Amino acid sequence: MTGVPTARPASAALTALWRLTLAGLLVCLVGLLPWLSRTDPALTVLKARSAERDPTPEALAAVRDQLGLDAGPFRLLGDWLGALAQGDAGHSWISGSAVLPAVGQALGVSLLLMAGAMVVALSTAAAVCARPLWLGARRRLGSPRAGGTAAMLAALPEFLTASVLATVVGVQLGWLPALGWYGPRWMVLPSLALGLPAGALLGRLLADALPGVLAQPWASAAAARGLSGRRVARQALRHCVPGLLPNLGLFVVGLTGGAVAVEQIFDIPGLGRLTLEAATAQDLPVLQAGTLALVLLAAVAGGLARAAARLLLGPALRDGAVQSPPRPAPPGRRTAPLVYGALLVAVVAFGLARDPLGLDTAARLAAPSWEHPFGTDALGRDVLARVAHGALGTLAVALAVSAAALVAGVLLGLVPRVSGAVVDTVNAVPPVLAGLLVAGIAGSGPATPALAVAAVAWAPLAAHAGALLERERAATHITATRALGASEAYVLRRELLPAVVPPVLRHALLRLPGVALALAALGFLGLGAQPPSPEWGLLLAENLPYAERAPWSVLAPAAVLALLGALAVTAAGGVRLPRYARGRGQGPGWRARTDVPTPRRRRPEPRRHATEE
Amino acid sequence: MRSVRRRRPAAGLLSASLTVLSAALLTGCFASGGADGGSGGSDGLPSGSSSGGRLRVALAFPPTENFSPYGADATLLSRLGVTEGLTRLDGNGAATPALAESWTRENDRTWLFTLREARFQDGTEVTPAAVAASLTHATRAKPLPTALSGVSLTATPSGDHRVRVTTEAADPALPQRLAGPSLAVLAPKAFKADGANGKQGAAGGGAKAGEGARPDLVATATGPFALAKVNGSASATLNRFDDYWGGRAHASGIDAKFIADGTARANALRSGDVDIAEAIPVSQAASLTEGTAREVPTARNTSLVLNTRSGVFADPAIRAAARAAIDTPALATGVYEGHADPGQGLYGPALTWAEGKRVRPADRARPASAQDVRAALKGRAITLATYDNRPELPETAQVLQQRLEKAGFTVKLTVREYGRLESDALAGKFDAVVAARNSMLDTGDPVSILSSDFTCDGSYNLALLCDKAVDRAVTTADAVADQGERQDAAMAAEARILGTDAVVPLVHQRIIVGVAPSVRGVDLDPYERSLVTAGTRR
Repeated sequence: MTGVPTARPASAALTALWRLTLAGLLVCLVGLLPWLSRTDPALTVLKARSAERDPTPEALAAVRDQLGLDAGPFRLLGDWLGALAQGDAGHSWISGSAVLPAVGQALGVSLLLMAGAMVVALSTAAAVCARPLWLGARRRLGSPRAGGTAAMLAALPEFLTASVLATVVGVQLGWLPALGWYGPRWMVLPSLALGLPAGALLGRLLADALPGVLAQPWASAAAARGLSGRRVARQALRHCVPGLLPNLGLFVVGLTGGAVAVEQIFDIPGLGRLTLEAATAQDLPVLQAGTLALVLLAAVAGGLARAAARLLLGPALRDGAVQSPPRPAPPGRRTAPLVYGALLVAVVAFGLARDPLGLDTAARLAAPSWEHPFGTDALGRDVLARVAHGALGTLAVALAVSAAALVAGVLLGLVPRVSGAVVDTVNAVPPVLAGLLVAGIAGSGPATPALAVAAVAWAPLAAHAGALLERERAATHITATRALGASEAYVLRRELLPAVVPPVLRHALLRLPGVALALAALGFLGLGAQPPSPEWGLLLAENLPYAERAPWSVLAPAAVLALLGALAVTAAGGVRLPRYARGRGQGPGWRARTDVPTPRRRRPEPRRHATEE
Repeated sequence: MRSVRRRRPAAGLLSASLTVLSAALLTGCFASGGADGGSGGSDGLPSGSSSGGRLRVALAFPPTENFSPYGADATLLSRLGVTEGLTRLDGNGAATPALAESWTRENDRTWLFTLREARFQDGTEVTPAAVAASLTHATRAKPLPTALSGVSLTATPSGDHRVRVTTEAADPALPQRLAGPSLAVLAPKAFKADGANGKQGAAGGGAKAGEGARPDLVATATGPFALAKVNGSASATLNRFDDYWGGRAHASGIDAKFIADGTARANALRSGDVDIAEAIPVSQAASLTEGTAREVPTARNTSLVLNTRSGVFADPAIRAAARAAIDTPALATGVYEGHADPGQGLYGPALTWAEGKRVRPADRARPASAQDVRAALKGRAITLATYDNRPELPETAQVLQQRLEKAGFTVKLTVREYGRLESDALAGKFDAVVAARNSMLDTGDPVSILSSDFTCDGSYNLALLCDKAVDRAVTTADAVADQGERQDAAMAAEARILGTDAVVPLVHQRIIVGVAPSVRGVDLDPYERSLVTAGTRR
């Protein structure tokens, strides 16, 4: 919760109060949703019950009367909260059945799905960082890998993975059930679809942090003392994992409430679908209960993650004796980003000359040919042209949103005591609900989707920044700097931010493709890009039903998205703050920083590690 | 380092808590029910092969109101062979006997229905008193079932075998109306409000118990299959009702799953998890094996509705230009891949009577030229709205966009989820809407849709049409009692409506049902009220 290792009871109570306030605020916002967005709940409820029914004034009046809507939102909310205090979360406005059992059941299903996904994610993460860990522990790690493959995997939209797995493994090969949720065998495919990208992202973040830790003096000391590589590796993990635990907690919550696409494709009765249906139908009792359950889960998961981080760092945190990993020097010149970039530019350049909107239903779903190098979509439009024309719009908005999320994330990460609870709460809000809330508050203008995505995208970055800061603040060299009379501002500017910003920036870039997809996912609310715009997320969504018959129509946008992910991450390897530019070429890869910095000017004293064992 | 030795407790605690958590999770967080059917299917185990096997059915729409017969779930119940009304519709849209053997019209407002010997699924007899009580409950449901909108009827028992139904105003279409799934006949047991479902009327804490209480459908209807167990909106188990008046059903029961995603439904059929999958999306039809996709024309149309009140389409010549620009056969083949018929009128090929009675729309406006259209638009774009519940609609809208732009229009598309579109569409905020609509509604009467969609007071008047000649023609049609003449009058009114160019019928949809090769006797009903019957077997 805070950068102070031992939270005093008073501050703990304050934090709890702050959490409670936030949860209350969120539930109130949800309760006011129809009135904020000026959509008549009687109408949406009527339509959710029976799509074909005409909204006659009598029918609407009957629904309004039945639900007691005329009492107004505050009365409804008050009644609901009052009943909740007695353990009754009310009845669904649509089906009339009790909310609590339904939400409880869905939550159970979702938690189980999440657990499966976590197993996959942790295995994937382990696979991704196995190499740096193995080599690093044996002091054979040269300059770090750029990690394009993992970034590509992380960029894969889970709905695509899910539908490919369901069709290929479930239906065509018949190895595993393609849908349903009846036992452990049914868990495999959905867990894979959810866990692979999440694990790739986590693994990438871990692999990003590992080399720095392994370059610390203890590691060479341990090696010199003859400790086995395995023990060194274990110790290295212990240093890195705390910085990622908050993100792991966020994943747990995000996968529980936000696995809508996977739940739909595999027909899993989880919380994501439940809240989505409740949100579109404005079934407020269900929506409020579902949101509250997620916020609760978020608080528990967040608390556990922080406790685990403390346990792992142990007394070092309290004593301000953490060894801060030295910042990595830029990896040497690599061709990977150039290759990825060139490929992306080539695709866009070739496609820009073509017509992205020209329909020809006679040539629908045509396979790739000289005429249509990437084939055509369901309306006979050239996929290459659409991918290329969509690039600029997709990238511009996604970059802007990511940049805003980065700034907000780092700033709020600086005050973890305040933002910790906000991060947990915001992260618990299902994306669709976030879209609806933002649209309700800000109106459905052209900037709304970007705003809605940015409103939640900062949370994981803030969590990451907060975790890194906590460790950094307790670092020996910070204590020393302070002892030498450096002001707080100086410490922040010259020590803390430079240590925190680069990894968080790489994290933000890793999430860039996800942001692009999230923007498109709000389309069905009437927000964001509308057909026939060739925005990438929209391309993927509109071609998904044809994924089996015309794989190229989804593979092309998925491939460029993966390419974008790889490009972003590999290019970010070179990101560094100006003062480190001097450090270039001074070491084979990593500079240890055990020297005490002098406030005026820091003298770099690069230390070469023994590369022999 | 001193921390080296302290590592174990921390890691131990973590892994221990994880183990506890996962153990807790594994105890019963899977979906209940359907497990037998599901595993049986995927393992390829035969479950009661030749006769009496259970049917596994994937339905598209989950029950939204706990199988209340007064809303959309009514169709679900009748499609699964659970409920029946006094009458049912035949292929021509005429009422035929169901629970009522015959009926006579005593006077303008009164009809007398003679019941057949039948039993409810709870074993009690179908008596005139029970039928009358059941109908009376439907008239008190809130909101009122669509089949009863604008009608006020009273049902009273008459003698040992008859029920007298009186309407406040003359209702020539009453027998068709009574075929509506929401007017199914239920046993008195269903209405005991103190039952398990009694509380549900009090939804939202607003305390409206009693009158609004939903009937309990478990073994209280009269159809060949009785509802036995419901697992929320995920699945339902039905068992054969042995005393069905029409003879024992072939299948011993039904395991129904509700799978909202169209691709998932198709996958369920392909992987052998289900025997019947309804409403296969057009995009998935091609991936089914030859012969498993069966299709039937439905009364559902996709139409372009133009806003006649405000914007450029208030001008009939501009509307005519839009109509003339559209190539409906290209939509049927290009977007619907041949799984639809080109738009002919408001009544499509599913309504067999319509074919011979079609009237050419008279005095249509002359289409404006592309130049005139551009002048009328004054550089602004028209908004064409549609919804994405089915992928065909946005695709249709995009094809229309291209055609309209060739005719001089500039078109901007708006695609939303249906619930977020309708109120704006009804308020006339768009210039044009592409919408799918069932032309027979819940009444089975061709005139209902005309009055709700195209008259000044219509409740679903997307075109915002208010045309005296149209209103007159619809009123005339509504007064005709004889079925054939009523259809003639409806066709005359249809021609009037098409003459205004307020609506352009694009395609008449077909419903695609995926049926495993071993399954026989699936009822492909153009009114979408029937699917599994006593004769369905595998």
